[in-house]
Amino acid sequence: MIYVDDVRIPGMHFAGILRSPYPHARITSVDLSVARNAEGVEFALSGAEAAEHSDPIPHFISPEAFGGKTTDVRCLALGKVVYVGEPVAAVVADSRQNAEAAVELIKVEYEQLPFVLDAEEAMKEDAARLYEQWDDNVVIQIPFTSGDPEAAFAAADYVIEDELRIQRYSTQPMEPRGYVAVWDEHTHNYTFYGASQNPHPLRWVLSRALRVRESEVRVIAPTVGGAFGLKMHGHPEESLVCLLSRLSGKPVKWIEDRSETLLIGAREQMHRFTVGFNSNGTISALKDHFVANVGALGAPPGWGMAFLTAMSLPTGYKISNTDVLASVVTTNKSPWNAARGFGKEASNLVMERIIDMVALRLDMDPIEVRRRNLIQSHEFPYKTAGGLNIDSGDYHAALDKAIELIGLDQVRAEQMRLLAQGRYLGIGFAFELTPESGDIPGTLVGGFDTSTVKMSPSGEVTVLTGVTTPGGGNDTSILQIVVDELGVEMSDAKIFQGDTTLSPYGFGNYSGRSMVTGGNAAYLAARDIRVKLVEVASRMLQTENTDIELGGGFARSIDDPSRSVALADVAYTVYTLAFATATGVEPPLESTRTYQPGNIQQLPDADGKINIYPTYSNAVHVALVEVDIDTGKIDLQRYGVVHDCGTVINPRFVEGQMEGAIAMGIGAGLMEQSIHDPQTGALATDGFKSYLMPRASDLPMIETRHQITPSPYTALGLKGAGEAGIGGAQAALSNAVHNALAPLGVTIRKMPLTPGNVLHAIKYHE
Amino acid sequence: MTAQQRIGISVTVNGERREAFVDVRQTLVDVIREDLDLTGTHIGCRTGDCGACTVTVDGEVVKSCLSLAASADGADIRTIEGFVDGSEDLSIIQTAFWNEYGFQCGYCLPGMLFCTEDLLKKNPDPDEAEIREAIDGNLCRCTGYHGIVRAIKTAAANTAAAADKPSA
Repeated sequence: MIYVDDVRIPGMHFAGILRSPYPHARITSVDLSVARNAEGVEFALSGAEAAEHSDPIPHFISPEAFGGKTTDVRCLALGKVVYVGEPVAAVVADSRQNAEAAVELIKVEYEQLPFVLDAEEAMKEDAARLYEQWDDNVVIQIPFTSGDPEAAFAAADYVIEDELRIQRYSTQPMEPRGYVAVWDEHTHNYTFYGASQNPHPLRWVLSRALRVRESEVRVIAPTVGGAFGLKMHGHPEESLVCLLSRLSGKPVKWIEDRSETLLIGAREQMHRFTVGFNSNGTISALKDHFVANVGALGAPPGWGMAFLTAMSLPTGYKISNTDVLASVVTTNKSPWNAARGFGKEASNLVMERIIDMVALRLDMDPIEVRRRNLIQSHEFPYKTAGGLNIDSGDYHAALDKAIELIGLDQVRAEQMRLLAQGRYLGIGFAFELTPESGDIPGTLVGGFDTSTVKMSPSGEVTVLTGVTTPGGGNDTSILQIVVDELGVEMSDAKIFQGDTTLSPYGFGNYSGRSMVTGGNAAYLAARDIRVKLVEVASRMLQTENTDIELGGGFARSIDDPSRSVALADVAYTVYTLAFATATGVEPPLESTRTYQPGNIQQLPDADGKINIYPTYSNAVHVALVEVDIDTGKIDLQRYGVVHDCGTVINPRFVEGQMEGAIAMGIGAGLMEQSIHDPQTGALATDGFKSYLMPRASDLPMIETRHQITPSPYTALGLKGAGEAGIGGAQAALSNAVHNALAPLGVTIRKMPLTPGNVLHAIKYHE
Repeated sequence: MTAQQRIGISVTVNGERREAFVDVRQTLVDVIREDLDLTGTHIGCRTGDCGACTVTVDGEVVKSCLSLAASADGADIRTIEGFVDGSEDLSIIQTAFWNEYGFQCGYCLPGMLFCTEDLLKKNPDPDEAEIREAIDGNLCRCTGYHGIVRAIKTAAANTAAAADKPSA
């Protein structure tokens, strides 16, 4: 497998990037003279020079398109820096070591400016402002309201007000980002190798930023070593590496350090919510005004996650009076990028905490509160307060399966037994709704995709698709669909992804979309070829075309299975006897089809709401923990999940996605957090010794059960898989810890559930 | 800055003697990847925390980002390219990882394979806690370690079964 760091180009040089040491400062001078003369250095570039040759990087999702504010994001800072780690200048040298050494020789003078790291501080009138042309630090405020929340709160038997602080954390695939750019002066063409989830949309972004035509950029994504949203684009280094190649005349490689990967943030939100409910557990009203700290505004799609947190509330619960307001706020932390879950994890975490809080107040079983408020299976499709049109599901059945999986009665008995010994066992459930395969109108976050299927005269099958894989197995699964449809052997089929010259136009990988869009498109294309194969085979076997089945590399008569012909011979006939046996069957054996799922609504309805997701996967999570109340340490003993993503093509791949996402969610629940030094504004958690991710001993085996409710809106009944697990795991863990500590009356309002945060809550009840 | 210094080293890599004239600032993993062009060894952190760069040096499992290449002079190094001796077939451990879906993106895989080999050499019948402990120095972000632990269990069982079988 070739990852981007394995790409070797003759004459290849290496980029080094000087980053801002200050969270907010004016750049008064940049002196590259010493660096330019350093050993092995070919070229050096300042922000002012870069701006002469490039334009701002287009936003993946422009806030302006949704009524918000925007700012120019450039490959090197121009005039001022707004976060520690912002690229300021760059060098090109003959080795990585020489490039890094030369970066140290760049002299930059800064005039430091006041900075702000906390989002609620940043919303105050006298706060330091990141962008002078803005009148505050708020990118956008997005309201979602339904019914009459005020009246519903007034009529409710009970009203709870509380808050939940979700930490900043990050996806951190094991392969860091990296890019290799080759500018060819003769053909006036860039070839860009990058760990990228979305090669075609990236090509458009590079062409805009680099002032060339889209056709003058070829993006090739080699094998990607994990992505999880981090390798969606808009990062300054993408266009920077291209520009360095063009201006230096050398092929240029840049592979980031982990400290650079860790700069990319996500997910930090402060929720303040109010919930109204009656004594039988029915929730009538929800208010959640939350603030998302997106750091400095970057060009990647990160900020959009806050939008979708708001849109996805109140997940799968029937709450008809809602008042949700997302405030997206910039601060002098480094920018966000997309992160698996894309904001929907926060909606699930908050809702599931709310359900358990309601249960606690009513002294009711939290499972019962879920049962009473979840959408029932006969109520689909169900239009939510956020405008989402949930396709299908059976949430109550999934709950029942989760109860059975964990053996609830025995676990609760064990809990009582241990409590008598002064030990705190807790069990937590969480329902999780995962809207998937999204389409954001007016952006290159498209809801459809395209695949080509070809069969050559020797019967070999090639699939080209616009979706890409970060390593989760969609390539194999898509092949599996094609191979099943055509009746060929897996060894006779290949799939190519991630090359803008080879593949049909596609949006790549995000939002659990690859099977829903690319898989269904490949299915349609394979079906076209199947029709031709069946027709020609029936002529070769002198039977009706309704009498042909394909399998094992052969076409055979259904009535008389002893009569068969190799598919390779059928394919050869299509190409060589197009005017005889295969007459009327249009050669070649190639088809390119696009799949547009149903249920996407780009135009606003009467309430001004759109539905950006065609499919809605769901899951019920259950965690069993023991909390050591002296140390605050949480021992996760068992973890179970019932997952429903509609039709499953390859259970092992779906389970693999689920297990990985749950591990990420457990990390988010228990340990992962990006912490900035309040004095310097620098990221303190800049390596894996301080940014703690789950290791094997931190996790139990994940006990997975499938439930299948096919989507009525997609061809094969598929729903997206891959994002579910983050919010569900965080919520199940938090609910389990609260359940364990219920005898102590503890509420933990700060994630993650580190020993420190747990002990603090036990000690101070806050 | 002092001018770049280079030093000649001689190492045995996957049974083959190799010479390299290395920049003294290069770590062992850089030389393995760049100078020896063995790119199956990966880089995930350069701080010894993730284990993507795991190889063996003189039979010991090490993280090759933590030592300077210059200090490896005379060493006997085994990388993932030499994981299986002179055979095209996958080993029992590799087959277990393949069948049990013990990897997704593949980036951590070489390190996991070396840790498994080392574990089974020292402890042919590890329990789940011992398996998890054996790979605690290696991060995986795709699998939640689920498939990896399952693969190591299978590898242990199949290694034991192969040892029991009288050779034909």
